[in-house]
Amino acid sequence: MILNRRSLMTTALTLGAMKAFPGLSFAQARPLVFATFTGSWEEAHKAVLVPAFRKANADAAMVLDPMLSVDQIAKVNAAKANPPIDVMLHDPGPALVAIGQDLVEAYPVEKSAYYKDLIAEAQEPMGPAPFFQVVGLTYNPEAVKTPPTSWADLWKPEFKGRVGITNLNSTLGTGWLVEIAKMRGGSEANIDPAFKALEELKPNLAAVAANPGALATLFQQGQIDISPGNFNAIQILKARGVPVEFVAPKEGAIAFKTTIHIVKNSPNRELAFKLIEAALTPEVQTTLMNPPYLIVPTNSKVTMGGEIARVLAKDTAELKKKFVFQDWKKINEQRSAWIERFNREIKI
Amino acid sequence: MGTAPASRDVTSYGMGLAAPLALFFLFFFVAPLVQLFWLSLHNDTAGLHWGLGQYIHFLTDPFSLSVLGSTLLLGAEVTAVCLVLGFPIAWLYQRVGPRLQTIIILIVLLPLLTSVVVRTFAWIVILGRQGIINATLQSLGIIDTPLKLLYTQFGVVIALAQVQMPLMILPLITALGRIDSNLDDASCSLGAGSWRTFFRVVLPLSLPGVIAGCTLTYAAAITAFITQSLVGGGQMLFMPMYLYQQASTLQNWPFASAISIIFLLAVLAVVSVFTTLGRLSRGYGGA
Repeated sequence: MILNRRSLMTTALTLGAMKAFPGLSFAQARPLVFATFTGSWEEAHKAVLVPAFRKANADAAMVLDPMLSVDQIAKVNAAKANPPIDVMLHDPGPALVAIGQDLVEAYPVEKSAYYKDLIAEAQEPMGPAPFFQVVGLTYNPEAVKTPPTSWADLWKPEFKGRVGITNLNSTLGTGWLVEIAKMRGGSEANIDPAFKALEELKPNLAAVAANPGALATLFQQGQIDISPGNFNAIQILKARGVPVEFVAPKEGAIAFKTTIHIVKNSPNRELAFKLIEAALTPEVQTTLMNPPYLIVPTNSKVTMGGEIARVLAKDTAELKKKFVFQDWKKINEQRSAWIERFNREIKI
Repeated sequence: MGTAPASRDVTSYGMGLAAPLALFFLFFFVAPLVQLFWLSLHNDTAGLHWGLGQYIHFLTDPFSLSVLGSTLLLGAEVTAVCLVLGFPIAWLYQRVGPRLQTIIILIVLLPLLTSVVVRTFAWIVILGRQGIINATLQSLGIIDTPLKLLYTQFGVVIALAQVQMPLMILPLITALGRIDSNLDDASCSLGAGSWRTFFRVVLPLSLPGVIAGCTLTYAAAITAFITQSLVGGGQMLFMPMYLYQQASTLQNWPFASAISIIFLLAVLAVVSVFTTLGRLSRGYGGA
């Protein structure tokens, strides 16, 4: 009886485990797994990129598994020989970490039909950038009558207690600080001027948000009137009826490359390549550029249109002039020291 | 079970029924915890060199210690607010009719039925510049410019106190319900005033509930990542956010592990103080 119960238990546990971890039963041939970001990214990829990929590849099976960059890196690191993800999506900081930890393969550039059409900044041999994220100034047009034109406007006395920033946990916060350093004569290697500038900004600071998403709430609640902000995030807020406007500062809008990578040892290497190719096509990038997605394209064959043409750039040439790219290799080297310094010095 | 001997002691019980949960904890709590501890004993982020460097870094760094201190202090403040505001409600609950009791329990439980994220956003709306408090004070002419309530220590304490209040009130209601109300009458008839009765009879007898409530509230308050970061903002650093920053943004897992182990030990220390007090109070209550 005891034995019976035990074997019953084993069966039940096995069945339960198979139910809970369906991957166990077909570990050999799994569909292509693309770890995109959560939220609006996932929506955009589900609606545009996945159908385009399946159409071009005879309905090949694929799964979107949205997660943060750090989780992608942790998951692949935990099973390097048989990674559970085939294609990763990264902000510039984590991308360098993934490359540094030898988790991604070089992109087969010579096989690619679209790589050469990407603008120079998006051509990354370890994984091209299918999209840009753009950071500029965000303001409430009801409270700020003259649109700001420069990062320096955040220091204007009229914005006393009205400015919001984010801490350095986010790519946005870190990139913005680097831009401030450049404005004051510093660089990625010399962040000191930025911290001095932050000290002067304190009277104006109404909030240091814990993440860029929290800035949106602060705009909605009238807690802040002006802040650095992500172009896409602002469009979503605007669509919800929140009075916000985006403007590229004259120093240049900060552009972050969102890069896409083939995971090393992926069992679906060929399909992974095909998915990335799909993300680089002018068709997919054009659809994603239009409302409601408004994702900035990197393929020079895409004709800029709509809101992006209005507030960012009309064509690739103007885009190159108005965007600033940052050296994330240098930034990553010192980021932990900056975060520590920010933790200590920025108390309001 | 037909083979069980007739002489079996019915007051004894096997651990068999607890085994599934115990196994679950072993696999999904103890094992990761051991792994965490193992990781924290490495000096480099790749986890190759053994050493106590992460602990030394934390314990000799005034800033890290101040983060730990402010987190423990935050917990104490929230617990104190919950106790002072929660006790009268629990006391009232024992002294009103059944209909009012239902209403009180409903009001106490209501926050538990909404997600903590929703409750926290409600506080953002209440405490904001154009929020309910500022709008009311301004329309009454008490203040000219809006007070800064959001992103302050005060805001975090108030929001956390509301969010965690049920954890304090429920044990208090149970503890106060177990006190024989004749003891109040006896105390009064022996000449003690109502305050004296409260401090010498009711409060000591309710101590187990107070201890339980304080432990729960404290533990929940200091680890409340969502409320702390949404109401406190990015410039107020508490241990959960510090941990997140090290693990998630900086990928410094060994240091993050060391922070969590230190945090765990600090919380265990505080909780064990509470339990010791609880044990003492049981002796006191029984005397």
